[in-house]
Amino acid sequence: MTAMPDVLPEIETVATNEKPWRLIVWNDPVNLMSYVSYVFRSYFGFSKEKAEQLMLQVHHDGFCMVRSGSREAIESDVQAMHGFGLNATMTQGA
Amino acid sequence: MAKAFKYGAHGITGTIHAPERKLLRELFNDVILMLEDRAEVHQLPEDIDPLYALTGMRPESMDLPAVADPALARLLPDASEDPVVAAEHRRLTEADLITTKIGQLREAQFLMETDKIVLKKDNAQRFAQALNDVRLVLSERLEIRNEDDAARVSEVLDAAEVQSPDEYLALVYNLVSWIQETLINALMDAEL
Repeated sequence: MTAMPDVLPEIETVATNEKPWRLIVWNDPVNLMSYVSYVFRSYFGFSKEKAEQLMLQVHHDGFCMVRSGSREAIESDVQAMHGFGLNATMTQGA
Repeated sequence: MAKAFKYGAHGITGTIHAPERKLLRELFNDVILMLEDRAEVHQLPEDIDPLYALTGMRPESMDLPAVADPALARLLPDASEDPVVAAEHRRLTEADLITTKIGQLREAQFLMETDKIVLKKDNAQRFAQALNDVRLVLSERLEIRNEDDAARVSEVLDAAEVQSPDEYLALVYNLVSWIQETLINALMDAEL
């Protein structure tokens, strides 16, 4: 058996004040409402009701902020949305 | 005429007959060719650091050119209104996105071999994504820019009344939309 060293290396933590990034999905006249709703449900795991509500927000307001997070997370969300053919962009919160 | 996709004991099933399958195969192929064309832009020069060639990464100094064809831009849109963020995202992810899309479209082409199509949820979703890419490209050719344009195109439903190439294109767009809609409904049912 091996013993753990008495002194654990100090873990450096870097405080980040980076503002979160936001995922915006834009309305377009091509993507079917049912499809947008399906994508929200299947990719983000939203409930049927929440997916429907976000889809309607996109439809009526022209866009919707779907979620926010680290740059890496939102980058991969945008890529996934483009994979589905949805018009999505990322922006850093003010 | 195609039969709507439904969710049942055998998974998601639908019927698409030979003339429609031939048409869809050609449409999937057109989109694949557009994407393959763009993939050529991604080729790195031969004298580059082999590490880049090995990882498939692009050096920071080599941003990709903008997408000139508006139909292709629908498939590979900018990831941000900030041009610097958009260029970086494109440099890091566009090659993967192209590969994913071509894979989905090829898979959809292979599905067009038999009348009856039986799908599991995963295949059905990728088929829906391929159909959506076809719709995006057709919508650009049909100049669907707003809800009014979409409504105008959706009125073309009777093949007997089609007179112009644009009307024919609208008819094709509506067929693809209809197939996609029934597929999504079946996927929604499967989700429960």
